[in-house]
Amino acid sequence: MLLDPRLRAQLERLALGVRGRVTAQWAGRHSSTRLGESLDFADYRPYQPGDDYRRIDHNLRARLGIVMVRQFEAEQELPLDIVVDLSGSMEMHDKATSARTLAAMVAYMGLASGDRVRLWAVPGDGVRTEIQGPAGRHLAAWPLLESWLESRPAGGGASLRPLGRRLAASGGAVVLVSDLLVEEWRGVLDGLAPTAGGLVLHVLSRQELYPPLAGDLDLVDSETGTRLAVSMSEEAVRNYQKAVEDFALEASRRSRRAGLDYLLVEAGPDAAERALEGLARREVVR
Amino acid sequence: MRFLVPAALGLASLAGPLIVLYMLRSKRRPERVPSTMLWQEIGEPVSSAVPWRPLKLTWLLVLQLVVLALFVLSLARPFIAEATVLGPHTVFVIDTSGSMAMAGRFEQAQAAALDLAEDVSEANLASVVEAGPHPSVRIAFSSDPEAVAEAIRSLRPGGGAEDLSTALRLARGLAAPDRETSVVIFSDGGAAPLPEEPVVGATHLVFDDHASNLAISGFDAEPSTEGTIRVFVQVENHGADRRTVEVAIDIDGLPAGSTEITVDGLSAAQRVLPVPATPGSVVTARLVGADDALALDDRADLVVGGGADRGVAVVGAGSPFLTALLQSTPGVSIADADEADLLIVDGGPLPEIDRPTWLIRTETTPEGIDLVGLERNLAVTFARPGDPVLDGVDLSETVVAEAQHTETLTWLPLVSSGETPLVLLGEVNGHRVVYTTFDLTHSNLPVQVAFPILGANLLQWLGGGDAVSVSTEPAGTPIALLTPVGHRARVTLPSGDTQDVAPDAATFFDTDEPGVYRIDYVDAEGDVTSSDVAVRRFVPSESSGPSREIVGAPAPGASADEGFLVREWSPWIVAAALALMALEWWVGHQRPRFRRREVTA
Repeated sequence: MLLDPRLRAQLERLALGVRGRVTAQWAGRHSSTRLGESLDFADYRPYQPGDDYRRIDHNLRARLGIVMVRQFEAEQELPLDIVVDLSGSMEMHDKATSARTLAAMVAYMGLASGDRVRLWAVPGDGVRTEIQGPAGRHLAAWPLLESWLESRPAGGGASLRPLGRRLAASGGAVVLVSDLLVEEWRGVLDGLAPTAGGLVLHVLSRQELYPPLAGDLDLVDSETGTRLAVSMSEEAVRNYQKAVEDFALEASRRSRRAGLDYLLVEAGPDAAERALEGLARREVVR
Repeated sequence: MRFLVPAALGLASLAGPLIVLYMLRSKRRPERVPSTMLWQEIGEPVSSAVPWRPLKLTWLLVLQLVVLALFVLSLARPFIAEATVLGPHTVFVIDTSGSMAMAGRFEQAQAAALDLAEDVSEANLASVVEAGPHPSVRIAFSSDPEAVAEAIRSLRPGGGAEDLSTALRLARGLAAPDRETSVVIFSDGGAAPLPEEPVVGATHLVFDDHASNLAISGFDAEPSTEGTIRVFVQVENHGADRRTVEVAIDIDGLPAGSTEITVDGLSAAQRVLPVPATPGSVVTARLVGADDALALDDRADLVVGGGADRGVAVVGAGSPFLTALLQSTPGVSIADADEADLLIVDGGPLPEIDRPTWLIRTETTPEGIDLVGLERNLAVTFARPGDPVLDGVDLSETVVAEAQHTETLTWLPLVSSGETPLVLLGEVNGHRVVYTTFDLTHSNLPVQVAFPILGANLLQWLGGGDAVSVSTEPAGTPIALLTPVGHRARVTLPSGDTQDVAPDAATFFDTDEPGVYRIDYVDAEGDVTSSDVAVRRFVPSESSGPSREIVGAPAPGASADEGFLVREWSPWIVAAALALMALEWWVGHQRPRFRRREVTA
C-alpha cells in the first residue's frame, strides 16, 4: 500500500492548483482554453447567424444599439500526466520507493478532483524510452494505478527528454518525480512547459545531500558505470554540497521558467507527508 | 642539552620514508553512488595515473612527524647536568642521635635526604648508613629511589649519642672500586671534632637549629634507712632563662606524686623524693609542661633493684674457692640445700635437678651430655664470643689438668679446649644448668681473677644473683640476652612494639629508644618461662643539642663531572610522544563530521 488511509483521507480534500487553462476533451472543473457553458462570463462578441438567442445581451443592445452575444468560460477536465523516474540512480537509497509514493500522492489527489490522471514511467522497455501506465478519472481507478506503480521495477538508464517533449503538448498539467540526475536535465525542464503548468518533485536522498564519505574513493555511477576518482577531503565534500545546492536552485529556477512549481524532497519513509506539507505551504495544493 | 646516545639522532632520516608514504597515492576504494554528475562539478577529482601526488601538509602528517621526532629524541637520551651532591655512588650518613631530635633537626635532615633520594638512579647509586650509637648500613648500592627513601623514612632519632667515626668507617667500607664514592653527612656535627677530620670525600649538611631545653639529666633510686625507696631527680636547664617545671613521678604507670623544680639558666637542680616503690617497680619521672625543643629527655625510667638475697647451697666435695665465691658475690647468701634457690654440686653423683644448678664434674653427666672419655693437660682455646656470661672474663691463662671429654647436641659449649667442652650451658627439667667438665681444683682457674667474675656471671645466669638486677645504661647500649636453650627472646620496646630475636642472638641492639625494655624468654610452646627488664636512658650530653660543622676535604682524583646529576628527559619525551600518538589516532580514525547545510525545501 503506497498511501495509508489517513493520508488518502487528507488528499481527498485537496486538489492540485493549475496555473493555465486546460485543453481537454471532456468537461470538468478546470478553466479551458475554449469558451463554454459555465456560469463565468468571459467576453462579448457580435451576434452571428446561428447564435443562441438566449446569449444576446439586451441591456447592451438598448444602451449601445448593437447586438452582442455573451460568451462564457468553458470548464474541462484536467489532463494530469505523472512521470515517475525509476532509473538506476533512483534505485539507490530508497529514492524509487519515495518517488512511487509521491507519484501515488499526486495521482490520488487528481483522481479525487476528477482529473484525468495518466501515469508514465521511465526508463522504458528498450523499444520506447518510456512506459505508459494506466489512466483514470475517478477514485475507482485508484487500485489499478496503485498496483501499476508498485509493480514498476527500478533500474537502468533513463532519458526524460522525449517524454518531456511529448507531454509539453498534452494540454494539461505534468508532474515529474525524479532526481534529475541526468546530463540532459536542463533541457528536460526547459522543454517541458505544459499548457496547464505542473510540478517538479525533485527527489534526492540524504546520502546525496550530505555524503558520509571519506578517503580516496573511486565513485561508480549507478547508471552508466563510469568511474570518478575523488579524494574525499573536507573541501571536496564542501564543494559537493555547494554543487548540490546550486543544482537545486537552478532546477527550481528552470522549473518556474517552464511554468512548473518545484519542490526538493528528501527521500524517506515520510517523503509524501513532507512533500504535501511543502506543497500546501506554497499553495500548490489547496 | 646534551645526548647520551647522539647516534640515535640518525633515525630522524625515517621522516623521509614517512613523507614519501604521504606522496604515494593510496589504492582507491570503489564506492557506488547514484550519479557522478554532481561530483564532476566539485573541481578536484583525481584521476591521474601517476602514483605520486604533491605533498599536502595535513595535521596527520605533522603529528606523525612530531611523534617520530620525539621518539628519535628520546632514543638519543637528551639530558641536562644539574649540580648536586650526588655522585656515582653516594653514601647518606644520617645522624640519629638524641641531639637530632631537637627543634626539628632530624625532620629537616630526613627531608633533605629524601629530596636527594629522588635523584637516585642507575647512574647515581646510593647507600644509607644510620649514624646512631650503633651505626649500621640500612641499604647499599641501591638504584631504586623508593627503596632508598623507605630506608631513610625508617630512621628515627633515639636517645643515644652518635658514633660518627664508626659510621664513616662503614661508609668508606661501602666504597666500590668501579664507582667514585662520596659521603654526605646529615648531622648536627656533635660536640667534638672527629679524629678523622678533615673527612676526605665527605660533605656535611649541618642541621643545627637550637631552642631552649629542659632535661632530666639524673634519675636514680636508693633504699632509705626507713626501708622505703627514695628517688633522686636532677633537672638541667640548657636555656638561658630561669625555668620552673613540674616533675611527675609514676610507679608502674600510675601517678605517685609530683614536685616543682626551679632551675636557673644553664644550670641544674636536684630533688630527692620518697616513693612507695618496691623492688622490681618501674619508676618514671616526667617533666610536665616543659614545652621545650627536645621531648625525648623529658622522661626517665628506672627499675628499683635490691630485694632479698638468693640462697645458694653447695653439695658434694665443695672447696674454699666456692665458699669465697659465694661470700663475695652480691645478692647471694649461703643456704641449706633444702631451702636454697640454687645448687652447686661439686662432684659426686648426679642429683635430681629440681632448681637451677651448677654441676661440677659429677660422676654421671646430665641428660643430653655423653661422656666419652677423659682428656688431660688442656688449655682454653675457645670462649663463646659476645656471650654475656663471659663478659669481663679472661680465660687465656687458664689450664686444666684433667677434664671429661663429652659430646652434646643440645647443650651450648661456653668454653672449650679443642673438641673438649669445659663449661656447658643447658636446661634440665625446665631449669637452667651449668655443667663444668673439670674439677675446679684440678685447674688454675680458681686462682685467676677470671674466677669470681665467671662465677658471679654464672650465678647471675642461673638466677642466683640479685632478686632484681636491672641493666640500666645509656640508650643504644645493647642488652645482653640470657636465652635458655630451646627458647627464644621476645623484646617489648618502650614504644610497646615487640620484636622477636633470633634464637642464637646473644645481644639485642635496637635500644636507641630511651625507656624500659622487657625481655621475655619464650619456649617452643610459646609460653613465657622467664623475663628480664632493662632500662636505657637518654644520654645527658645530647640534651644541650651540640652542633658543629664537620670539616670535609675533596677526594683525591675526583672527576670533573663529580657533583653533577645527569637528568634525562627521555621519560617526559616518551610520555609526550604517546600522548601525541593518541591524538594522531583520534585524528586519523575519527569519521569526518562536516557541518551540514540544509538545502531541502
